[in-house]
Amino acid sequence: MRLVELSRSEHGHLRICADRVEAGAARQHLIPIVVAEFRKAAIQYPIVFAKHPDTGRFAPYVLSGLELEENLFWSGTALDVAYVPLNVRRQPFYVGFDDGPDAAGANVLCIDLDHPSLDSSATRTIVNADGSDSAYLKEILAILGELVAGKTATEQFLATVLSLDLLAPIMLDIVLDDGTPLQVQGLYGLDEEKFRQLEPAETTRLWQAGYLDLLYAVMIATGQIFNLVRLKNQRIALSRAWQGRAS
Amino acid sequence: MERPVRSICIVGGGTAGWLTAAIIAARHSVGSGQGLEITLVESETIGIIGVGEGTWPTMRSTLKKVGISETDFFRECNASFKHGAKFARWVTGQASDFYYHPLMLPEGFPSFDLAPYWMKASEAEQTIPSFSNAVCFQEAVCELGLAPKLITTPEYAGVVNYAYHLDAGRFAAFLRDHCVKKLGVCHVVDDVTEVVKGDSGDIEAVQTRKSGRLEGDLFIDASGFRSLLLGETMGVPFVDRSDVLFIDRALAIQVPYDDQQSDIVPYTVSTAQKHGWIWDIGLQSRRGVGYVYSSNHTTDEAALTELRTYVGDRHRDVQPRQIKIACGHRQTFWKGNCVAVGLAGGFLEPLEASALVLIELSADLISTMLPATRETMDIVARRYNQTTQYRWDRIIDFLKLHYILSQRTDSKFWIDNRDPASIPESLQEQMALWRHRAPGDQDFSSNCEMFPAASYQYVLFGMGVRTNIHHQGLHRDENGAKRAFAQNETLKARWTRALPKNRDLIDKIKALGLQKI
Repeated sequence: MRLVELSRSEHGHLRICADRVEAGAARQHLIPIVVAEFRKAAIQYPIVFAKHPDTGRFAPYVLSGLELEENLFWSGTALDVAYVPLNVRRQPFYVGFDDGPDAAGANVLCIDLDHPSLDSSATRTIVNADGSDSAYLKEILAILGELVAGKTATEQFLATVLSLDLLAPIMLDIVLDDGTPLQVQGLYGLDEEKFRQLEPAETTRLWQAGYLDLLYAVMIATGQIFNLVRLKNQRIALSRAWQGRAS
Repeated sequence: MERPVRSICIVGGGTAGWLTAAIIAARHSVGSGQGLEITLVESETIGIIGVGEGTWPTMRSTLKKVGISETDFFRECNASFKHGAKFARWVTGQASDFYYHPLMLPEGFPSFDLAPYWMKASEAEQTIPSFSNAVCFQEAVCELGLAPKLITTPEYAGVVNYAYHLDAGRFAAFLRDHCVKKLGVCHVVDDVTEVVKGDSGDIEAVQTRKSGRLEGDLFIDASGFRSLLLGETMGVPFVDRSDVLFIDRALAIQVPYDDQQSDIVPYTVSTAQKHGWIWDIGLQSRRGVGYVYSSNHTTDEAALTELRTYVGDRHRDVQPRQIKIACGHRQTFWKGNCVAVGLAGGFLEPLEASALVLIELSADLISTMLPATRETMDIVARRYNQTTQYRWDRIIDFLKLHYILSQRTDSKFWIDNRDPASIPESLQEQMALWRHRAPGDQDFSSNCEMFPAASYQYVLFGMGVRTNIHHQGLHRDENGAKRAFAQNETLKARWTRALPKNRDLIDKIKALGLQKI
């Protein structure tokens, strides 16, 4: 990964291959999302919470694999999903923070010059011939805008959830079709028992803040774990069959 | 008619008083006519001794139980992480001489005891790693100055077992705030002028200068060395144990760091000197250093010179505080309706950080055994005394162990310490058994033991004791041992890479906080 601040003049020549944008997520088992994505994510993935390794802060993620660096939705060329999270769609662009003395944490647009989607023979351009932002870049800026706005909303949601002790570690203890035991650690989910014991006044406050919808989305999304296990079993069966033929 | 126990009066506002108040209050609902009423009276004029700066891992569960956040504790108490203790110059006195007493158990312990296998390997070749280094990875983590957990590890959980170093003065104030604001403890700042005894021999009340008479059904003496209630009022004599442990003076000094980024050493360093030893405890903003020595073997001036040599010339302007200490304890700890905690009950040199843990255990025992009526109090007192006496004896044995295994001959202090007349019989018996096999759980059968058998192994083998393993054939599962040693090396490689520096993690905790889960 080589992140640099995007310069319309310096990077104007870059071309991005739309088909390879999703390749960046091929080896991601957790993809961060913002609260605005919960409903859409819930139709495809389990929504879980995990701590950032550098800060210990919680953030929501979609779970796309059952092992480190595994994305069970990756077909080899694309993500075979109904909803692609914003954090995949924005690739190869990032929002960086300028922590220089004058900027005081202002957002800056960055690009990963090592991203697999950068390809000089591709069609998407960053700027138009007249130097203005391309429609593609405008789309990316809108996505990044959603993520920046979503960051604050997501932090507020999590602060509320944590203050009510509604998160608890989830231990996925799975036995695959071939008998392999699988444990996924470091994930947190909704403590449904605590959630049901909330005082009516607290539930009302959650509803008014729009958080009740989010909590139910998380709850319903837990069922997607069965889909992940199914994909995992398919993948193992496929690799067994291939090895069987090869030997 | 039965006389219920409804109110507890604690005299003394140091760590002993406040920790006891917190532990009892957290268990027994307090305030507004419900449950127990707890009052703590703290003198306006008498300061606290506050040299108890090292804890045991028990402090984690204690703080959690009384409802304190570990993040707040780090923010308020100048606290840092402690992996255990490093003992320097205790065996031969040479500069290269050291061993560790880590807080984690050896790999596989107690179901699989690696000691005989390590012993066998050390017979075969001289260059194998030290016992603690071979059986656990905490020594390696210590030598690199790393913290015992990650920023993602929940509050009070650890990658390895850990305890704390803390600023006793700040800790007492922090506990006071918590007790008063969260646990409903009534706080009286006043001097006790008189302790009023009734006809039955029980304490009826303490008379204060401004706040009048404070009554109570149970009185807890946390008045420090003076032992105002148990010693002075109830007349319980002091049992001198200086026949076993000779140290009777402390010179304590606070040493500043070179700068705010200086590493914080994540373990207590105890360096043996000519007539005692020096503790060195790293807090966030300073080190706490002190020389404890025997005044029968050296002079105050000579001790001061040794301490000055240790801390270095740069700190010659820092003035040490001298504390006279008496090694020993009260003959009983609970008499009538009065029980003593902390220094009021007794004192031992801080070689294994036993002061704070004894307060925790005492308060816990008082809290769980708390008699409902005065009529049942004597039964509780008898049991309490039995347990507490046992605990003090075991600590005394364990402290003495460090001295009898030393090979130092550079002063009479060290030679006298090995005089069999100064060694408790209980310890002599254990030593007789441990010539032939390693300490195990079978040697510690009480349910109120202080140190696990593993601690004895770390000290024994760290100090060069070798047991004769060949008689009993205790080394027959070579493959199991190989796996355990290999597992330790795997963990050592993983965690020496993954754990952050001690100061870095503490700074991060103060800035970002730890999660509760």
